[in-house]
Amino acid sequence: MTSLRTILFDRHILQRYGIIIVLLFIATVLSLATDSFATSANLTNVARQVSINGILAVGVTFVLLTGGVDLSLGSVVALSGVACALCAHPGQFPVIVPITVGVLTGGLCGAVNGWLVTHGKIAPFIVTLGMMTIARGGALILSEGKPIANMMPALTNLAGDLAGIPIAVLCFGLVAGGSSYFLNNFRLGRHLYAVGGNEPAARAAGISVHSVKNFAYLFCGLLTGLAGVVLAARITTGQPNAGQAYELDAIAAVVIGGTSLSGGYGTIRGTVLGVLLIGVINNGLDLMGVSSYYQALIKGVIIVGAVWLDRRQARS
Amino acid sequence: MRPTPTHTLRLPLLACLVLGLAVVGCKPVARKDGEIRLGFSSRDLSAEYTAKMSEAVVAHAATLPNVKLTMVDAQADAQKQISQVENFIAQKVDAIILNPCELEASTPAVDRAKAAGIPIILVNQVTKSTGDAYIGSNDVEAGRIAMEAIAKQLNGQGGVLMIHGIMGTSAQLQREAGAKEVFAKYPSLKLIDQQTASWDRAKAMALTENWIQAHRGKFSAIFAHNDEMAMGALLALERAGIKKAVYVIGIDAIAQALSAVKEGRLDATVFQDAVGQGKGSVEAAVHLAKKQPCTKETMIPFRLVTRENLSEFLK
Repeated sequence: MTSLRTILFDRHILQRYGIIIVLLFIATVLSLATDSFATSANLTNVARQVSINGILAVGVTFVLLTGGVDLSLGSVVALSGVACALCAHPGQFPVIVPITVGVLTGGLCGAVNGWLVTHGKIAPFIVTLGMMTIARGGALILSEGKPIANMMPALTNLAGDLAGIPIAVLCFGLVAGGSSYFLNNFRLGRHLYAVGGNEPAARAAGISVHSVKNFAYLFCGLLTGLAGVVLAARITTGQPNAGQAYELDAIAAVVIGGTSLSGGYGTIRGTVLGVLLIGVINNGLDLMGVSSYYQALIKGVIIVGAVWLDRRQARS
Repeated sequence: MRPTPTHTLRLPLLACLVLGLAVVGCKPVARKDGEIRLGFSSRDLSAEYTAKMSEAVVAHAATLPNVKLTMVDAQADAQKQISQVENFIAQKVDAIILNPCELEASTPAVDRAKAAGIPIILVNQVTKSTGDAYIGSNDVEAGRIAMEAIAKQLNGQGGVLMIHGIMGTSAQLQREAGAKEVFAKYPSLKLIDQQTASWDRAKAMALTENWIQAHRGKFSAIFAHNDEMAMGALLALERAGIKKAVYVIGIDAIAQALSAVKEGRLDATVFQDAVGQGKGSVEAAVHLAKKQPCTKETMIPFRLVTRENLSEFLK
């Protein structure tokens, strides 16, 4: 039993190093190739730019751990952003109202996803694919197809800094730190791994598989709502067409971070590294003035390459 | 698990129900004498400019007697747009107004309408095949006007950044071509860097933040291919506290850009007449549906909007 644990632990460490090595390598190349990458202002930019994808990636890590998937992230970001912006006009409500409305809108979508997966017994891929278009439709209906502008300064200030650190980054940090602590130290957190790893065994052990899954989708939805609020604050509008394909970046980050798509294995630390890797690539390619056509290609090659290197290390 | 008899029955029953509803739903309403039926496929109702133009199409059709217009939203998906046009053809509408998603990919929609002998009117964007009429504005002119404004502001010299729309769309290609003409005229006007932000505000904002790091102090103007992206660039510059040193201009004159010009935040935008285009396309469609002659190409001019002449555009 002890030896098994050691092996698992070793594999874990190697997986972590795989991505760290790639990340450090790319960061070194960028520091040498450009004057501007390794400046505190630019690194703050990277942190600010990854925080939305980061919040989404942490949320979807919970769902992926249970062996599910959530394709509705991008659309729910748009819906939550629109819902938030609709009650964020100056003088309308205190600032806490639009924030809560945004987060709860996401939570509601997540709860519906969870209910359909567990009680409706529909495959998560199908449920969340449906939610993807339902939420997009909802965003278009609520906003009548137009961006919702005129947001109160108290809300758009969320895109600013607190003690020199962007508030979006603080949100991401808190979410990541809290989630990591929760997964490692709470019974429900460990149950997420158990359900994803071996569902019949988890059920036999007396774990309520339905509640665990419902929780994962709800939590993911709440974080998606939060990401929607952060995005709306950043672009100072609720955009019904925002967030296109955000789910792909979020899921890519989680998978780069070593979380298994079939569930049961993964860490928040890995997810954060995956998020940083994608963010550093995006930022670096802009700094180096790489043409748009090559950016897409290079990004794909680095992502697949990083995962390949990571898995090779894990096997050796 | 083997399906029980009830399970095997359920699927055909459900299929019958769905099919039945579909048939009832699609049953064409009996056509009144002399009624003109128009189909309109809008590129993307979530984009502010397109929404404004589409509203004008619907509103103008509603004012005309005996004209019944059906609007559908292609949500920026050319594939979907082709199916929508096919559906209009199947419904035997009298004319189709198409606001193409893409230069190449929306072309089959035009070809299919022509093969079916239904007049097709293109509005705002062109496709490879020409329609029976085109109502739009020459985007080369928009790019030229925006870059000329920058050249004038910088006295013909300095660094410029250009944020492109989705690569390959006719608006992106033509706005770039117009800008390039101006660069050729002013050799001391330098294009420092260019990149796409896919018409998206959040993407343009991240791009500008990165550029501020890469090219700080080397640029004095940003030309964004639309106002959404100009707003993103503006927000990034304002947060970095360097907006004063950079002239920002977009295209489209959407409501938010106009109010930003009014507040003295955005320097300028280029007005494209959404209402004029929308109205013009309905007029052309009605003419063609009645088999009356119609001008093949109607160009609605662009105009530069600055704080000085803003009041003409605020309604």
